[in-house]
Amino acid sequence: MEARDTKGRIVKETFPSEMVSIVGDLFAGIVLSLLIVSFKSFLLLILIIPALLSLRGNLSGPFIARTSRDFIIGEFNKKSWFENVLATLFLSLLTALAIGVFSIFINFLLIRLYIFHIGLLIVIPVVSITLTLAISIPCSTFLNFLAFRRGLDPNNIVNPVMTAIDDFFTVICFYLTIIMLGVP
Amino acid sequence: MLLFNNYYVGGAITLDYFKKIFKESVIVVLISSVMGLFSGTILSNNERVLASFPIILLVLPSLNSLIGDISTVLVSRLTSHLYIGTLSPKIQVSDRLKQDFYGLLITILLSLAALISLGYILGSVSGIQIVNPLLITSIFIITIMILFGLMFVFLFMGSILIFRKGKDPNNFLIPMVTSLADFLTPLFIIIFIQIFV
Repeated sequence: MEARDTKGRIVKETFPSEMVSIVGDLFAGIVLSLLIVSFKSFLLLILIIPALLSLRGNLSGPFIARTSRDFIIGEFNKKSWFENVLATLFLSLLTALAIGVFSIFINFLLIRLYIFHIGLLIVIPVVSITLTLAISIPCSTFLNFLAFRRGLDPNNIVNPVMTAIDDFFTVICFYLTIIMLGVP
Repeated sequence: MLLFNNYYVGGAITLDYFKKIFKESVIVVLISSVMGLFSGTILSNNERVLASFPIILLVLPSLNSLIGDISTVLVSRLTSHLYIGTLSPKIQVSDRLKQDFYGLLITILLSLAALISLGYILGSVSGIQIVNPLLITSIFIITIMILFGLMFVFLFMGSILIFRKGKDPNNFLIPMVTSLADFLTPLFIIIFIQIFV
C-alpha cells in the first residue's frame, strides 16, 4: 500500500468517485424536491430529512471504513462482517428512535403541526433507515470486495460512491415509507 | 449454521467485535444524528439569506457531501495506515501525511470546480436566478478551503490520539465529522454572505 500510495493515486482514485457522489447528490436533491414538496406535512417531513441524510456519515460511513480496513489488514471474514452488520443495525435502530423522539420534541416546541399521528415521527425513521440499509450494506460490501480484488484502495473509492447511492436511496426509501404509512 | 461456527467459544457466543463497535460508536452516533436536526433549523432560520441566492440551495447538499466525503476518505486512510504501521502514531509531519494532504487537496479543488460548473449549468437549465456568480463562487471556495484545513488538522490529531488509546478512529471520527460538515458548511456560507454582501 505504502509504495504505490502517492498523491497522484489518491486523486486518480478519489476524484472519479467524488464525481459520482456530486452527480448523485444533485440528483437526490432534485428527486427530493419533486417528490416530497407536495406533501401537506412537508414542514414536519423536512425536519427529519437532514437527520436521515446524515445516515451516510453516521452509520454507512463507519461501516464501509471498517470493512475497507478489514480487507486491507487481512482480517475480513464472515464473523467480522456479521458483527459489523449487527452493530450497524443496532446503532441504526437507536439512531432512528433518537431522530423520532427529538423530532417530536422540536415539533412540540417550534413547529406545532399535528397533521398526522405524532407516533409516526418515530415509525418513519425506523422503517426508512432499515430499508436504506438493506440496500446499502450488501452494495457497499460488494464494492469494497470489488475494489480490493482489483488492487484499488477501497478507502479512496467506496465511501464517495456510496454517498451518492445512500443519499439517493435514503430519499427513495423515505418516500416509499411515507406512502406505505399513509402520511398526508 | 456454518456462519455461526466461529462464534462458539466454550458453548458461549462471543461477539467481541460487535461489542467494540457498539461501545465505541453509540454516543457519538446519537449526538451526530441529533445534530442533523439542528442543521435543518439553521437553514430555516436563514431562509431570507438563502432565498436571495437560490443557487446555494441547489448546491448545498453536494457541498456538504463533498467536504464530508473527503474527510471520511482521510479518516479511513489514516486509520488503515495506522493499523498497518505505515503511519507512525505521533503528531508530526511525515511524507505519508504530505501525500495525503496534497492528494486530497487536489481532489477537493477539482471536485469543487466540477460541482460549481454543474450547479450553474443545472441552475441555468432549471431557470434558477443566478445572482453575483463571482462572489458566490469565491464564498464556496473560501468555505471549502477553510473547512478542509480545519478538518485535516483536527482529523489527523484526532486519529492519532484515538488510535493511541487503542480505539478505532473510524468509529468516533466519521460520524462526528459528517455531522460537523453538514452543520458548518451552511453556517460558514451564511456568515460570509453576511460579511461580503
